[in-house]
Amino acid sequence: MWELSKRRFLQAAGLAIAGRILPRRLLARPPEPRSGSRKVIIVTFGGGVRYSETFAPEGLRNIPRLKELRAQGFFYRTCANAGVLSHFNSTASILTGDWQRVDDFGFERPAGATIFEYYRKQTGSKATDAWAICTNKSFSPIGAASLRDWGVPYGAQVVLPKQLLIEAVDEVVKKNRDGGAANRENVLRQLEEILNEGYEGLGWTIFKAGRDLDQTVRATLTRSLVEYINGPEMPSSGDELTFFIAREVMREFAPPLMLVNFWDMDVAHWGAYSLYLQAITRTDRLVGMLWEEILANPNYKDKTTLLVLPELGRDGDVNTANGFLNHRSGDASCRNMWLLALGAGVPGGESERPVAHIDVCATAAAVLGVKTAAIAGRPMREIAGA
Amino acid sequence: MPEGIKASSAIQQLVAKGLFDRLPPTFSTFFYDRIQDWELLFPAEQSYFERLFGLLDRSEAEAVNQLFAPLREIERRMGVNDKTWNTREFTLAHVDFLNRSPDYPQWRQAVSGIFAKIDPILDEQVARHGRPRLVMVLSPSELPASPDRMWTRIATRGKRVAVKWSERQDFAALLTGTGEQSLARAYAATRAPAPHDTWVIEAGSRLAPAAGQGVAHLSYDGLRDYRTRLMDEVRKMVEAEDIRGPRQLGERLRRMKMPSARPEIDSMPVLADFTRSVLLNGNGTLLINNTFVEWTTVQAVRRARPSVVLISFGIRNKVKPFSSLLIYTDQDRATPIPTQMDTLGSYVDLEIFYQYIWSEFEKYPEYRHNTAYIFAADGMEEVLIIAPPDFPTLMTAKDPLPLENVHAALREWLSL
Repeated sequence: MWELSKRRFLQAAGLAIAGRILPRRLLARPPEPRSGSRKVIIVTFGGGVRYSETFAPEGLRNIPRLKELRAQGFFYRTCANAGVLSHFNSTASILTGDWQRVDDFGFERPAGATIFEYYRKQTGSKATDAWAICTNKSFSPIGAASLRDWGVPYGAQVVLPKQLLIEAVDEVVKKNRDGGAANRENVLRQLEEILNEGYEGLGWTIFKAGRDLDQTVRATLTRSLVEYINGPEMPSSGDELTFFIAREVMREFAPPLMLVNFWDMDVAHWGAYSLYLQAITRTDRLVGMLWEEILANPNYKDKTTLLVLPELGRDGDVNTANGFLNHRSGDASCRNMWLLALGAGVPGGESERPVAHIDVCATAAAVLGVKTAAIAGRPMREIAGA
Repeated sequence: MPEGIKASSAIQQLVAKGLFDRLPPTFSTFFYDRIQDWELLFPAEQSYFERLFGLLDRSEAEAVNQLFAPLREIERRMGVNDKTWNTREFTLAHVDFLNRSPDYPQWRQAVSGIFAKIDPILDEQVARHGRPRLVMVLSPSELPASPDRMWTRIATRGKRVAVKWSERQDFAALLTGTGEQSLARAYAATRAPAPHDTWVIEAGSRLAPAAGQGVAHLSYDGLRDYRTRLMDEVRKMVEAEDIRGPRQLGERLRRMKMPSARPEIDSMPVLADFTRSVLLNGNGTLLINNTFVEWTTVQAVRRARPSVVLISFGIRNKVKPFSSLLIYTDQDRATPIPTQMDTLGSYVDLEIFYQYIWSEFEKYPEYRHNTAYIFAADGMEEVLIIAPPDFPTLMTAKDPLPLENVHAALREWLSL
C-alpha cells in the first residue's frame, strides 16, 4: 500500500519537475556551482498585505521570520506602489521598472521589457536561467513583454504550480470517470504517469494565454477533483506548492534570476481576517524556508540577493470601502509598503529614504550587471553593486 | 431621459434641463446610470440623488464651474471624450479606464474634493432631521473569549455594562423582544418613516423571532437555496458562454436576474435586487456567513440608511484546503470532508468586523450623535454600549442590569 504522505503527494505532483517542465533536450545534470555569478530572487507578498499586519509594531507577530531576517538585511521602510493597485500591473511594474497599466487579468503582456529579458538577452543565457513561479493564475504572460526585439525568446519560464496540480488531477479524473476517481492511490499512480508524459497539457503554462487558464480552472470544478485535493495530507495552500516548485527549480536549474509570487493572502477578499493573517504567517514561514535554501544550496550561498516586498497593500481600516478586504482605494495603506533586501552585497541597516516598486528592476539589473532601457526606476544605492 | 424610466419628477426635470450633460462625464455618468433603475433604489438613495442634483441645479453656474474645474482638468489629461467615455451607461470598462490611468490618484482626489464641499451642505439638511436610531450586534455564544477580550477595537468608544438574566430565559429574545413586541417589528409598525427602515441581518436564524412584517430580514442560512442556485448558475454561465475573464463575468452577472424564491424578498424589487447584488458582488458573501452579514450591513447602511438594524453573526466554518479554487462552488456539497466550526477564527474575524460596522454607520450624518450601539454576545455577562449622552442612564448602573431593563431602555430610546 502506498502511504500517502505530504512529501509523497508533492513528489507525485511535481518532483523531478525537470521532466515535466521541459523537453528532454533541455534537461541537464544539476548544474555545478558557478563561482562569482550573482543571482537575484525577487519574492512578492502577492495579493497584497498591509503594513499594519506586517512591519508595523502590532503586525510583527504575524511575521516572526521576516522580523528576524530584518536584522540581517537592509530594510527600506517605505517602498511605494504609485501605479495601478491591481495584481498583474503591480508585479509587472516590479519586473519592468515602469508603472504598468495593462489589462490586469492576464490578457496582455507587460508593456515594457522585463528584467528577465534584459538579463537573458544581454548575457545570452538559456531559457532555464530565468523563472517566474507564481501562485496567481493570471500571471502566465508576466514573463516577457509584448515588444519586438524582446519578448518570449528572452522571457522567463512562467510556472503556475497550482495550475499544474489541478490540471494534472483533472486529467486523471477525466480519464477515470468510471474507474473510481475517489481511489486516491489509483489517482496518484495515474497522476504520476500523466506527469511523465510531458508538460504541455498539464498546466505548465509557459507563455500560455490567460483565457486558456481560466477555462482550465473552470474544468477543475468537479467533485472528484475536490475529493482528491481535499485529502488530509495535501498541501494546505497554493503557496506551499509554489515554494516547493521554486525550491525544486533552484535545485535542478539554479537559475540566476527568479520571481517567486506568493498569493495566499489574497484570501482577504473573502472577508475572513483570520485566514488573511494565517496566510501572511504562512508566507513569512515560506520566505524563511526559501532563505534557508539559499544558504544551504552551494549554487546560491553567498552570491544571491533576495528582495522581498509586498506586491501592494490593502485598504486601511478608516474611511475606506471595506478595509483589508480590498486594495483599490489608493490610500496610504494601499500604496506605502516596505522592502527587505538580504544576502550578497546587502549591508545591514535601514533607510527612511523612500524607494518604489519600479526601483526593483533597476536594482536587480545592477546586481546582475546588465543594463536596462530608459526606465523610470532607479537602483537602490544601498545595495552593493547597484 | 429614455422612455420607461420612472425617476422622480424632480430628477426627470433636471435631466430634461441638461444638468447631467453639463457635469464632468466621469462624475455624472455613474449617477446617470444609477437613476435608470429608479425603482431599484432605496428611498434614502432617491432622496440623496434629489438633494445632490437639486443643490447643483440651484447653485450659481459659476460656483458649479469652480467646483468641478479641477476634475475637468484631470479628465482632459485622462483623455475623457465622447469616443473614450460612454456617458449613458457606467460599466466595468469605465472603472478599468479610470484605474489604469496615470492620473487616477489625482482623479480620486478631485472627486473627494468635490464631495468635501458638497457633503457638509447635504449633511446639514440630514442632521436637522435627526432621530434616535439603534444598532444591535449579537455574537454567538461559541466565541472563545471572555468579555474583556470582546470588541477590543471599539471598546473605548463606549462602556461595558454588566447584565444578568435567568438561565431559563433566551438571551437574544430578551434583548430584542420577539413577535410584535420585538424592537424591529414595533419600530417598523409605528415609527419607521419609510419602507426598508428596519433591518434584521444574520448568519443563522437567531433573530428570526424579532423579524416579521415590515422588517427587511436577510439571513445567510435562510438564503441557502438561493446561494446554491446562484453559484450553479454562475458556473453554468461561465462554462456555456465562453466568458473570457473577470470583467466579462462581472458584466454578465450585472445583467443576471434570478429571483430568490423567497416571497418576502421577491415581492419587493428593491430588496430582491439588493440581495442578489450583495451575493454576487462580494466574493466572500456566497461562501462565508459572517462576510455576508458584514457586507450586507455595510451595503444596507450605505444605501438604505435604516433606523433600526439588528445584526447577528455566527461561527464560520473552517475553509477546506484549496478552496480558493472553488469560488462559486458550494463547499459543503462539493467535498466530502466534514464541515468543522472555526470558533477562534470567527472570533478574530469578528473583532475587526465590529469596528468596520461601527465605522460605517458613523460615516453618515444620520447616525452620528443619534445612534445607540449595543454589542452583545449570546450568554455573555457584559454588553458594550456606545451611545450619545442622552441615551437612558444604563451606563451608570453599578449592579448587573437585567436584560429586560436593557430592552426597556431601548424601547424608550426609540419611543416605542
